[in-house]
Formats: sequence, C-alpha cells, structure tokens
Amino acid sequence: MSVASRVLAIWCMDWPAVAAAAAAGLPATSPVAVTLANRVIACSSAARSVGVRRGLRRREASARCPQLHVVAADPDRDARFFEGVVAVVDDVVPRAEVLRPGLVVLPVRGAARFFGSEQQVAERLTDAVAAAGAECQVGMADQLPTAVFAARAGRVVPPGEDARFLSALSIRQLATEPSLSGPGRADLADLLWRMGIRTIGQFAALSRTDVASRFGADAVSAHRFARGEPERGPSGREPPAELDAVLQCDPPIDRVDAAAFAGRSLASALHQTLLAAGVGCTRLAVHAVTANGEELTRVWRCAEPLTEDATADRVRWQLDGWLNTRIVVDRPTAPVVQLRLQAVEVVSAGALQLPLWGGLGEEDRMRARRALVRVQGLLGPEAVQVPTLSGGRGPAERITLTPLGDEPVPLADPNRPWPGQLPEPSPTVLLDDPVELLDAQGNSIRVTSRGLFSADPARLTTRGRDNRLHWWAGPWPVDERWWDPDRAGGRTARVQVLLESERPADPGTALLLCYRQRRWYLEGIYE
Amino acid sequence: MTAMLASEQPHLNRADQLKQLRRQMAGISEASGKIGSPRRGHAHVDDLLPDSEARLPVPQLLASVLPDALPRGAVAVLSGARSLPLSMVAAVTAAGGNAAIVGQPNVGLLAAVEMGADLSRLAVIPDPGTDPVEVAAVLMDGMDLIVLALGGRSVPMTRARAVVARAQQKGCTLLVTDGDWQGASMRLKARVSGYETTSDKPGFGRISKVRLEVCAAGRAIRQARAV
Repeated sequence: MSVASRVLAIWCMDWPAVAAAAAAGLPATSPVAVTLANRVIACSSAARSVGVRRGLRRREASARCPQLHVVAADPDRDARFFEGVVAVVDDVVPRAEVLRPGLVVLPVRGAARFFGSEQQVAERLTDAVAAAGAECQVGMADQLPTAVFAARAGRVVPPGEDARFLSALSIRQLATEPSLSGPGRADLADLLWRMGIRTIGQFAALSRTDVASRFGADAVSAHRFARGEPERGPSGREPPAELDAVLQCDPPIDRVDAAAFAGRSLASALHQTLLAAGVGCTRLAVHAVTANGEELTRVWRCAEPLTEDATADRVRWQLDGWLNTRIVVDRPTAPVVQLRLQAVEVVSAGALQLPLWGGLGEEDRMRARRALVRVQGLLGPEAVQVPTLSGGRGPAERITLTPLGDEPVPLADPNRPWPGQLPEPSPTVLLDDPVELLDAQGNSIRVTSRGLFSADPARLTTRGRDNRLHWWAGPWPVDERWWDPDRAGGRTARVQVLLESERPADPGTALLLCYRQRRWYLEGIYE
Repeated sequence: MTAMLASEQPHLNRADQLKQLRRQMAGISEASGKIGSPRRGHAHVDDLLPDSEARLPVPQLLASVLPDALPRGAVAVLSGARSLPLSMVAAVTAAGGNAAIVGQPNVGLLAAVEMGADLSRLAVIPDPGTDPVEVAAVLMDGMDLIVLALGGRSVPMTRARAVVARAQQKGCTLLVTDGDWQGASMRLKARVSGYETTSDKPGFGRISKVRLEVCAAGRAIRQARAV
C-alpha cells in the first residue's frame, strides 16, 4: 500500500435532519425527524436522545417525542443546503467530491503538505464547516471507503492500517453507507451475519474465489473493501467556470450613450468568456450598482442564444430603462458605478450550430429577423412584437404578442377546447370603445341573469352618432374565470349587430359588441 | 452565356452576334429594372427571372383584379376595408414569405390566421414612433411584404422615390394604408359589399361571411373591379 493515496472524508451527521431544521429556521438543538413513506429515515441528535430511531413509524416517533418537528424527505433540500458546506470545504481544500449530501471526500496529500500535517487539515476543515453552521466528523485512511468509515468513527487510520481498522467493525456496517454499496448489500450483510461471519475481518479472511463464486459481483467489491485493497480515489469536480463580466465604470454612467458604449465592451468581454467555455447564453442577468449603493437587477430571457450585439442591445435598453424611467421614485439616485453581466442560463454551443445546407427558407427567416432586430435597436425592446396563437374566447385574447427575442409563450393553450369561442370570421379591427345599446324606446339594454336581453335592441349610439340596427344576434354569454377573485364580477356576453346605413346600396357595418360590468363596449369591426 | 451562344452558332457573323447580344442585354435590364430585383444569392441574372422570384402570391380575392400577381418592389396604396391588407399578408406568409405590419395597433390578427396566415413569419410594430417610413425602409432588408399605416399622413414624392428605389432593390412590396403615397404604382380600394348571415331574422344566426368589392387602378394594371 503506497502512502501516496491518502483520503479524507467529512461526514455531517444526520444531514437530512440538519437541512430540514435549517430550512424551517429551527435551532440545531431542536428535535427534528425526516420521514419517507411514513418511516423515519433521519433524526437529529436531540430527537435520538429521547428515543427516536430510524425506521420508526411517524406516529410512534411523535409519541416518543411530542415536540418533534416532522418533515418529509426532500433530496433537493439536502443538496441545496449542503452546497454551502461544499463551498466552505472548497475554500480550504479544492476539488472535493460529494458522495451524497452530508458526505464529502477529498485527496489529502497536497493539503497535508500545504498545511503541515494531516491533523492540521482536519482541524481547519472542522473549523470551516462549523463556521458554516454544520457539525461534522473527519476521518482519514488510505482508501476512500475506509476513510468514510473512519469519519463515522471520527478516527484517523494510520497509513497501511486500513484492513486492521476495518476488521473490528461489525459485518452489519457493510451496508450502512448507501453511496458506497451496490443494491443488494443489505441482503449480503444479513446473509453473512446468519452464516456466522460477525466482523468485517472475518469476511476479509475468506478467499476471494470463494466469495466470488458464492455471492456475486457486489460481494467481490465488498470483499476488496474489507481487505483495504486499492480503490478509486476521490474524483473532485471542476469548479464551474464563472460566466460573468464586470465593468467598473469610471467616470460613473449617468447617460444612455455612455451606457451603450459600456454595454458593448462588456458584451464583448462576456462573449469571450462564453466562447472559451463553448456555451451560448439564453438568460442574461444585468446587474448595476449605483454610487449610493443601490443594486438593480433584471434578467432577460431569450428564445435563442444571445449574440454579442443582442447582449449589448439588452444592456443599453436596460440602462435606458433604469436611467430614464418616467417614475421619478424608481429612478436611481446616483450614477451607475458598476455593471455586471451574468449568464444565468447557458446551452451548449452545439445548439448554436447552423445546419450545413440550411433549412428551407431559413436564410429568409434569418434575414427577416436581422431586419426586425435592427428596428428593435431603433425603437426599443417592446416595439417589435411577435404574435402567437393563444387560447381564449374573444378575438383579442386569442392572439398573444411577445416582444421579439423573448420566448413566445401563449397566455393560454390554444389546443384546449374553448367552448363558447366566437366562430369565424373574426373582426379585422379590434377596439375597446364604450357604446350604448338602446331599445326602441331609447332605454339602455342589459343582459339579464338568464343570459337574455332585457329588451330587443333597436339602436346603437357610438361617439354621439345614432344608428338603427338592421340585424342583431346574441347575446352569447361568456362564462369564464368566475372563480378568480381579481376579476371584476358581473356578466359578460357578446353580440353581433349590423347597422343600417343611410344609402340604400351600402350594406352597413357589422360590429362585435361585448357586455361587461354593466356596460357595452365596441370590440371589433367586420370589414 | 456568350460562350455558349458562340459555340452553338459558330457561323453568325460579328454584326449579327452583336445585335443579338444587345437585344439580350436590353431584356435583362428590363427584367431586373421593372419587375423587381433578383434576390441576394442570385448574382447571375437569367434573362427572365423565374415567376415565383419576381412576384408575390395574392389572395383569391385579388386573382381577377391582379391577374399578374403582385410584383415585388411595388408600392400599393390600399384604402377601405381592412380585410384586404390582412388577406395579402395571409397569402404571402402562407407561401413562406415574411411580412410585417407597421403602425396598426388595432389590427385583428386572428382574422389573418383564419385567412391562412403563418404567424411565425409575421411581426407587428404597433408604434413605429415619429417616422414610420424610416422603420419600413429598415424592414425592407428582410421582409417580403410590409403593411405600413401612415396615420393619415402623405409621403411626398422626394421621400417616396428613395424608399421605392430601396424597395425595388430589396424586392420588398410595400402596402400603404391610412395615408397617401405619391407616385404609387397601384391603388386598391376595398369596400364591404355585403354581409352573409346564417339567418336574416334579427336575434338569430351569426355573421358567416363578409363580401368585399375591390377596385384596382394604377400604372401597372388596367382599371378593374372584382367582387
């Protein structure tokens, strides 16, 4: 066994319970249990001291400890809170491997040389993790699995003593660490126990051929571990590349033209970084810090990876929006001193690859897009709108307009059934003008709770002009979103009317009217 | 082409050859000057452009009014019913062209979809700012059809000429609505000639069809009417 491979393991006890307590804002000393399928899978030391154990039913655990805080298992939460611990460990010794949330292994040789001794490294790591708000035990050994068991025991195994350290452990321990064992490991440990093999040392004493021929592949790897034979070392992760670009603005920016220049150079810096990482950015965060310490942030989401020009445009629009907003309260009180672009979401550059021959009409599409982007650059981000078909009943809500460059997401799914949708044809002009619908006596018409007119309509008054109706149809009640408290109550209905014209040859004008909140609105003109 | 011609007809004398080449050159300049430009990527000019390259498809409605389809690079002034520009947008986008609607915030795009428009090839610029003509000129780079609402303004000849030259060079057709464009090659006027309802009795039925009448006038076409 060479001394070259020394592995250090950091084990945070009861990590799911610790993470759950942190998520709930409880102190570390409070009793917490994490349950999965009604069984306790982890509990804090406070809970354990009053008799809560793994495998207990939830109700039984609550009975043993009435003030127990019980939460459901959530691997994402565990990983999220463990990320802070990993960051702290990375600060002391880089390239740690996370076996599971709560367990980290790292090669210790270089760190031991740097800090003086292995003990020094262990002390520093324990302190760092404690500063991050977690408790941990540190173990060291020659091999990775042995180091994990050493950490559980809180021991430093001297070089070459792996097998001796393991030999005293119970055979049941073989299955305690799920990240190191195969699927049938618990059955194997149980079988060995029933065969009278009570310690790992006894298992290690068996000959490998016997183990391999009787218990299968997973037993062979368990046997290798029991003998302390060389295994893989920790495979640390590369720290993710920092995809951002920062510009300290000197002099501070308070005008849009200066911001445009800054945006251009910043975009070029960001794209150098993205290019080196081989990715394209689909979500860009623009941060700005003003001289008075205000921080402004906005995330731009894009349907396609941003080009350098598109990035520069977005920085300019954003700063334009911040510096020239009409609402004086929202305007920053001081010029911008720091600008930061961050690629929040990236896609691999393969997604950017243009097809070799180009799709049919793709070149035209790109050309059209470039022209639209230029107009967007002239007029602003919201000026160019792209329509998408959306779901709905009225003609206006069935089209969703999204600014060019944003992901075109319809507000409602057009493929769902929309009973009560207006049939074809749709009005070609959409308006929203209040009008008066009157009966023959000149009284205004309502839609009753039964969805009928209060009287037959005869006249329509639009902006002071009075027209007689030639024909009308409806009302067609619209019964939607009655459950939504934000939506104003009242009945909604639509009506088609045909106005009579003065000249005999003229067919008049067909209109679509909408009744809502006890008023009539001219919604569309058929022409 | 010259080389091919020479090899095929070796016994033409020099004068005849020159005359024939001149005739061909005249044909080329006529084709590219009048009917619109060749698109980018077609640097070598055939003596007659293929039909689909030089013209835009028109809706069924206009088939009898404009038998020669809609030339690229033309400027048409549309007035009257709004269905007309929408149906032209629908026809062009359905055939794979790109279109933009400038300065019409109240346009009912759903009607265009019902006429067959492909919304992924359509962009809307509801508020083009103080100079909609400039926006249209920028858009000509990439679009096949632009519907430009002038908001009651009239574009003078001097300004119009520069934009028309650009439209012809880029092969983009400009439809001007709600305003006047001096020197437009085509004027189309649409009015609603009747509504079809599923029942004539008030209180019953619904509007099932809008009938349009289109009048066309202009240099390029003879006076025509269609219903």
